[in-house]
Amino acid sequence: MDHILKERDRLLQRTARVYGLSFSAVALLCILVPGAVTPGTYLAALPFFALLVVGQYRVGVSRSLVWVFAQLLGGIGVVLSISLLNPGELGHAAMSTISQLTAAAVASIAVVLTTDTTRIAVLGFSFATLSAVTAVATADSQSPVSTVGLITLGWVLSSIVGIWINAGVPQAARRIASIGRAHRAERQASEMEAQRRQSARLLHDTVLATLTLLAHSGVGVAPAAMQQQAADDAKLLRQLRLGATPVPLSSGGYNLEPVEETVLGTTLESVKQRFGRMGLEVSWHGTGQVLLPSDVLDAFLLALAECLENVRRHSGVTEAHVTIVDDATTVRAMITDAGVGFTLDDVDSARLGFKESVVARLKDVGGHARLFSEPGSGTTVVLEVPR
Amino acid sequence: MSFPPASEQTLGLLAEVRANRSFVGGARRLVRPESPHRASLGTAFIGVGAALICGIRAIYGFSWFVAYWPSYENPLPALAAWVLLIIVLAAAFITASIVGDRLPDWMFAVYLVLLAAVIVLDLVAIWDLHDIGRYATASLTAAMALLLVITLRRPVEILMCIVAIGLGLLTAIAVNTRLTPENASSQITSLAFAVLPVLIGIVIVRGFRSMVQVELDRVMVQSTVSAPRFAVGMMASEELARLDLAAEELLDSVANGEIALPLQPKTASVAASLATELRLHLIEGRRETWLYHAITESELLGRSVTLTDRGSLAGLLDANQRDGLLAAVWLLVNDHAKKTAVRTVQVVVGPIVATGVAAVGHKLRVPIAITTTGVPRNRVDPSTWDAIRRVGRYSDSSQNASLRVDIECFVDNPADL
Repeated sequence: MDHILKERDRLLQRTARVYGLSFSAVALLCILVPGAVTPGTYLAALPFFALLVVGQYRVGVSRSLVWVFAQLLGGIGVVLSISLLNPGELGHAAMSTISQLTAAAVASIAVVLTTDTTRIAVLGFSFATLSAVTAVATADSQSPVSTVGLITLGWVLSSIVGIWINAGVPQAARRIASIGRAHRAERQASEMEAQRRQSARLLHDTVLATLTLLAHSGVGVAPAAMQQQAADDAKLLRQLRLGATPVPLSSGGYNLEPVEETVLGTTLESVKQRFGRMGLEVSWHGTGQVLLPSDVLDAFLLALAECLENVRRHSGVTEAHVTIVDDATTVRAMITDAGVGFTLDDVDSARLGFKESVVARLKDVGGHARLFSEPGSGTTVVLEVPR
Repeated sequence: MSFPPASEQTLGLLAEVRANRSFVGGARRLVRPESPHRASLGTAFIGVGAALICGIRAIYGFSWFVAYWPSYENPLPALAAWVLLIIVLAAAFITASIVGDRLPDWMFAVYLVLLAAVIVLDLVAIWDLHDIGRYATASLTAAMALLLVITLRRPVEILMCIVAIGLGLLTAIAVNTRLTPENASSQITSLAFAVLPVLIGIVIVRGFRSMVQVELDRVMVQSTVSAPRFAVGMMASEELARLDLAAEELLDSVANGEIALPLQPKTASVAASLATELRLHLIEGRRETWLYHAITESELLGRSVTLTDRGSLAGLLDANQRDGLLAAVWLLVNDHAKKTAVRTVQVVVGPIVATGVAAVGHKLRVPIAITTTGVPRNRVDPSTWDAIRRVGRYSDSSQNASLRVDIECFVDNPADL
């Protein structure tokens, strides 16, 4: 609310500035009509005109009442200079100048004087002073009643401008605030939806693996297997899109709800099937009924899949063994193959992506991985995660 | 099915997505000029005020018309002008409150034609008096009647209309009235009274709209204050959903044989770019803090604020500190006083400074440096300091004649939580 009040004041100030300056320009044009006033009047009125214009300009950027009073003083100064230095009845042009100044140019200060009681008091004082001075000063040329009437009309109009803008702002502010609330809700919904999709990491990992295969035109995998794989993944993505969460949602890492046993079983089975289609036979040993927090499960399965992918790519054999054992504190998986093996020092571990994709992800959930290999005698990876 | 053009440069693609984000951001969605919300955000109320002023002006003009009645050689056209004007004003006022936020083109055209008819009738009636400035009544009110529709049409259209009317009246005066020192001032004041109120009205309506827009922008950005430490932007889920859908469609086509295996190089590269984009989104989305999203989503901040926050430390600030920091940056950037001055603000968060053993409650000390250009120290809104104080202890100095604030901000250590 504070912000918009500031904006409101700025709007009122700018309005007052444009209002005042444009009618000052009109008044100036009127006084410049040949023969409007005696030449000496210009000399006397000029400083007051300047004061008025400076006040009007400054009101546009400053809330200070000084500039309001500067305008009032400037306006009264011009009126008095004209009436005192032009004896007798004033001509049309002189009267027009006076009415433009008093009923419009100076009246513009009313726009910024409606926001609080002090300012309204200043408004009343300014109006009373200006109309009294003008009525007396022009009494010879125009009846005071019509002078005051005209000035009143001008000040009423400009007060309405001020009051109306003033009253319109809280309305706008209320509606804006309600849009803001809607927006916050939208942001939270967006955040939750993104989180739901991002939490489906296992799903995305298999999708990414499939996409990567496709990126290599699917070469090296039987077309039928590839199609089956694509169909599985498309189905998972469809489920995700339709609002299901194919993988249990973790809530900020604090979801300690155990994963259903069947889920792990099914997931292990789907990992096995996936590699089966790509030509790597995975044999499963040991327990299939492990209860793990979902984030640990994600990391565990991901690391497992990554290891199997390495076997598929580099070992040169088409069979791998996965043994899963668990005790009170840890769940352990051993991935073994009888492939070519390698010297640990020779292999650029970054190329295998081992550090990134396996070690780092396990470390995230408090687990770790160990790698054993010798050229010619296969490879064994041990993955451990806490229960 | 069709795929977007393949691009190997998926990082470039992502950069494009980022660059576009500011154009499709949530704020923009609600403040587009064609948005139906526009007029209902208070401008309709302003429109009623304009109508009130127009009504008072009409009464004033009509009383002069009555006063001049004996002067007319043939008052009938002037009377017709007034009758027509009153009908048109009443109809316009009712229509304006019915149509809501935008007057259809044809209605606007009819309105303009009727106003022109009023002006012509009035001018015909006073033509032989040869002093338009003095005797014109209905025509001046008709010019001001544009105020009635000022909130219902684009400001530039109203501007064009009022300039046209002004030029028309000026031409009529030039042709009809011989200027003398006696009558010159009334020509000037009449013309001014016809044209200036509408011009001022345009200034007000534009100012009001921009005020609403700035406030909307701020209120929307404000919602980032309650975001978690790492947040996805408003668009993140949409982008992720789009990528998921694209992947689903591609996989579906492969599964049902629409796309033959092995893949054409073009389709393969689509798959590659999808994979890369998806991978980037899955890791990238959560690296950004609320402050990053606030700046990129806001039209105002996005233009002039740059953020350096390598450690994503802004996410550690609590809601009160965030609110203060956002308000401070906002106040530094949003100063209408000088539209021409280019103000920029750089916010540098971190790196963490090692605190002494005595650090209160194991808090982390995160220095925040706000450097600016085009913001003189003495032109800073006073409430900026209150806002900065809510972030932490600060010291301010001038750098290249512009403000620099160093804030020492204490935040909870995430390791302790």
